[in-house]
Amino acid sequence: MRTVGRALVCVLFVVATAPGTLLGQAQRALPNRPGSVKFAAIGDNGTGEHPQYEIADQMSGLHKVFPFDLVIMLGDNMYGGQQPADFVKKFEMPYAALLSAGVKFQASLGNHDRDENVLYKPFNMNGQRYYSYTRNNVRFFALDSTRMDDKQVAWIDTSLARATEDWKICYFHHPLYSNADRHGASVDLRVRLEPIFVKHGVNVVFSGHDHVYERLKPQKGIYYFVSGAAGQLRRGNMSPAEQTAAYFDQDQSFMVVEIAGSEMYFEAVSRTGRIVDAGTITRQAKAAAAGSPPPEPAGSRR
Amino acid sequence: MPDKDGQVGTSPKRRGLRHHARSTLPRLLRFAIEQLLLLPLGVIIALAWVNAAPESYYRFTFSIAFLVNDVGIAFFFALITKEVVEATIPNGVLHPLRRALLPVVASLGATAVPALLHVRIVESLDEPMLTIGWRVALATDLAIGFFFARIIFGRHPAVPFLLLLGIACNALGFVMVALFDPAHDIRLVNGVLMLVAALAIAAVLRRQRVRSFWPYVLIAGVASWVGMYWSGVHPALALVPIIPFLPHAARDPGFFVDARPGARDALSQFELWWRYPAQVALFFFGLVNAGVPMGALEPGTWGLPLALLVGRPLGLFAGAGLGLALGFHLPHRVGWRELTIIGFVAAMGLSVGLFFAAAILPPGQLRSELSMGVLLSLAGAPLALIGAWLMGIGRFSSERQQR
Repeated sequence: MRTVGRALVCVLFVVATAPGTLLGQAQRALPNRPGSVKFAAIGDNGTGEHPQYEIADQMSGLHKVFPFDLVIMLGDNMYGGQQPADFVKKFEMPYAALLSAGVKFQASLGNHDRDENVLYKPFNMNGQRYYSYTRNNVRFFALDSTRMDDKQVAWIDTSLARATEDWKICYFHHPLYSNADRHGASVDLRVRLEPIFVKHGVNVVFSGHDHVYERLKPQKGIYYFVSGAAGQLRRGNMSPAEQTAAYFDQDQSFMVVEIAGSEMYFEAVSRTGRIVDAGTITRQAKAAAAGSPPPEPAGSRR
Repeated sequence: MPDKDGQVGTSPKRRGLRHHARSTLPRLLRFAIEQLLLLPLGVIIALAWVNAAPESYYRFTFSIAFLVNDVGIAFFFALITKEVVEATIPNGVLHPLRRALLPVVASLGATAVPALLHVRIVESLDEPMLTIGWRVALATDLAIGFFFARIIFGRHPAVPFLLLLGIACNALGFVMVALFDPAHDIRLVNGVLMLVAALAIAAVLRRQRVRSFWPYVLIAGVASWVGMYWSGVHPALALVPIIPFLPHAARDPGFFVDARPGARDALSQFELWWRYPAQVALFFFGLVNAGVPMGALEPGTWGLPLALLVGRPLGLFAGAGLGLALGFHLPHRVGWRELTIIGFVAAMGLSVGLFFAAAILPPGQLRSELSMGVLLSLAGAPLALIGAWLMGIGRFSSERQQR
């Protein structure tokens, strides 16, 4: 009897401490404050395959304890066929629980998406390739990095200049900074967009395209995240560089983020529910965003 | 040690070397220009630079892109137009015009098949956004094509056939790009009025027998550039409608045959003056538009070269078959075997292909994939050479070798 009791205690201990368990999830660092802006970020998700569903299940489970009401989509929302049945298989079914809970998805397009996907209602793009919207003190800018024409560059310049919110967050498919081997940074985009982002004090940029998770050290005052593994995965594809703050390339992943006042809390969560990176960013002062480097996020890679 | 002129370090040997360098460089430049090497040179430098130091490459090329793509390259297209204009006068390959009918009909197949094939291939490779590149599948590089056609065929009716086919394919491509990809927000009425004014100015200059090409370029050409810019048509084509107004010689000196240094007519003078600057513009065109970072490439990159190398010969068969069914005739000594080789040669779209890619897409992944596809279409040259050798065509024919 004593042996059985010991075994039970051991099992409970292992379950409680193993990454990716419900107990592990319950101990997440996000403060989950009332009234804060809560959202999730997924990139390169629309495969319709089992790992996408597993990530979606993790998101649904997390939503119960961390009720985010927004998911930003970082492009490649659909791979392969893009018929109505594909939208069911690759979007509506995996995220059914979130959609029925009223979570709003706001998509940006990737190179595997189709132009006409801007008309798909649940992506909430209202027929626009690029657009912006607000949540409390945060303004989001969704861009189309696959075709960054002069008109779009002028639009983001003007729109950022007009934005009065405390936080300015941009997201799009191709990363300005990335240390994954397959694609890496889109330097042509960086040369065009970074000066505009710096000039207007963009705080954080989310991208996908490389099928890994990477957090970069602030670049010219801006925090960059690559989160392109919410369906696809390129295992072991990272070659971390000096500018890499944290990364995870061993499994699919997504991000959850909370903005409360001048703090942004973030977690990167794997397909098994393990928190692979977490931290807090303090909103950059406008002068800092334009020049001197901000501090690295407080937090840890787990 | 000072030499006898009191200069330090200028021994006769060094002076000789310096003189040798001074005389060699212009000769090398002239050779590069005459052998059409400046565009490939620009392409090679672009590929090396963008993959070694991308940030400095993009900063430099973005800063000159407008000057090169919208202004400088206009003189290259003007020179191509000059060749076409001369080809319509006696002794030219387009004279009389009915000779051009079969290649024009054949160009319908030679453009439609690779364009459709490109769309199918990139769809199957899961890159639906690349379908926009079907316009690039219409392009043919006349100069490169002519160069390889002369190597393979020498003086053979297949060469003018290829040129006519290329002109028709490119004309279709320019129309499609203008229709589907207006350069920016357009002011159509103002643009059309300005274009009409430009043509009227050119007509008046011609009527007044103005022999210098400068008023045509500086007055009519600039008005045409503004008109096209406002109309949403790519302004690099600004001189295309103006060139036919320039007074020209009575007979065509030949396709891509340089004008005689003593030629007095305005068209020849224009060529003599702009030949070298246009080649320099072509060098910068290659530098600005062919910088493809290898990391940007996806499987869809293969769509365009496959579509061109397979689709151009097949489309040419289909188009020529249609022409024959309509009662037109293939030129003497041009059969299906020659058409295959012409198809491979016409698959190469270097200058015009890069131009179409830059006209329809901003810098980024999609343009990189299309530009690399254009570069890979140069595989048409070895395919044409090997095909000609295997089939015993042109200079590889047994009759010719026996002679």
